Amino acid sequence: MSVPDKKTSLGLLRQMMVIRDFEETADKLSLRGKVSGGMHNSSGQEAVAVGVLSALAPLDVIATTHRSHHHTLAKGFTSREIMAELFTRSTGISGGRGASMHLGDVTKGHFGGNGIVGAGVGIAMGAALGIQQKGDKKVSVGFIGDGGMNTGRTWESINMAVIWNLPLIVVVDNNQYAVETFVGRVTGGGDLAKRAEGFGMKAFNIDGMNVLEVRKYVSEARERALAGEGPTFINALTYRYYGHNVGEKGQYRTLEEIDKWRSTKDPIDHFISVVISSGYATQSQVDEMRASVRAEIEDAVAFADASPEPDISTIYDDIDSGALGVQL
Amino acid sequence: MEEIFVPALGMAMDNAVLLEWLKRPGDSVSVGEVVAVIETDKTTLDLPAETAGVLGRHRYAINDEVPAGNTLCVVLAPGEVEA
Ligand SMILES: Cc1ncc(C[n+]2csc(CCOP(=O)(O)OP(=O)(O)O)c2C)c(N)n1
Ligand SMILES: [Mg+2]
Repeated sequence: MSVPDKKTSLGLLRQMMVIRDFEETADKLSLRGKVSGGMHNSSGQEAVAVGVLSALAPLDVIATTHRSHHHTLAKGFTSREIMAELFTRSTGISGGRGASMHLGDVTKGHFGGNGIVGAGVGIAMGAALGIQQKGDKKVSVGFIGDGGMNTGRTWESINMAVIWNLPLIVVVDNNQYAVETFVGRVTGGGDLAKRAEGFGMKAFNIDGMNVLEVRKYVSEARERALAGEGPTFINALTYRYYGHNVGEKGQYRTLEEIDKWRSTKDPIDHFISVVISSGYATQSQVDEMRASVRAEIEDAVAFADASPEPDISTIYDDIDSGALGVQL
Repeated sequence: MEEIFVPALGMAMDNAVLLEWLKRPGDSVSVGEVVAVIETDKTTLDLPAETAGVLGRHRYAINDEVPAGNTLCVVLAPGEVEA
């Protein structure tokens, strides 16, 4: 796998570190009751988010899932506006109305997270249809979990993307568990890429712990989509380090299993060794980077904490387009 | 200093009721030892210490309602004093 230039590589590393620190910090704050409605921690899955988003252009569209902090940070939104949203403050990315599961900003190509398993691919497929109709030079990425692979709407959307040759990239952020259910136990046929191939979609099973591998497959998929060659399905195998939701006391997997993935496959540790062996940074520069990330996340928490809640007078805002002139 | 607190679990942030203190102020505690037992609307929960040390004062009494996120007590490392 060819390593990108120094600036790009250090950017990828820093972005993965930001996600990890953000998630571990927010997890603790959630247990303290600071995060309305709880949250889903994506620690372990950084290479999928950063690999995908670093291969996209700023206005390419993404639609995501209930576990979306990492995708949203990697799309370029700030840790401040995302932390503030978790705290449901008016300075948050969704104005404090969405909390952890509804991060989004359609004006910047983020069509949102949502709590409906499998919905992200349908939304992204619709966005891809819009892109095609308007002749825009963009692609649309639908993130989905392994659990979402067993919902009907996912495959309806995949079928439509194939028959209409849409500029869609489906990315399975396959952390191997749907709450307590291991993917291997519920995947008929055993191979997700083969399923997508059965629908006529170009499909790959890849290593979702390797940021460069994810970036490469998504770049190629994007090139194909822009050349009018249609959609791609990418199943990125990764691992979630924490519970399904914050505070979960999991009894469905062993501590040894978690430790094995963390100690031998960690996407950040792996990429640190790539960066060091490429001569892009020394260990002490990596440590400095980690310290600057720590400061950024502490600043995000202070910003969120100091931000006001949405004003009660705005409670009826944003619930219709305004086009009908409805008075509430 | 480790704070032992009522975790906010699930979607709704509820109060918990303090059911039992298993350690007294000044007792030494080891990692994993249960310090207090609380009850939420869904379950009873053992709250263990994650570090070894000496227990600080009880900030709530049995049967008190404790808002999620609030600290019940601290575990002091050698040399630490409670504010
Ligand atoms: C349609 C639907 N069914 C069930 C649920 C309950 N639910 C929430 S998350 C989840 C598991 C999702 O697993 P996966 O797709 O692998 O995503 P992950 O949590 O691993 O990121 C389930 C079943 C839901 N939110 N929506
Ligand atoms: Mg999953």
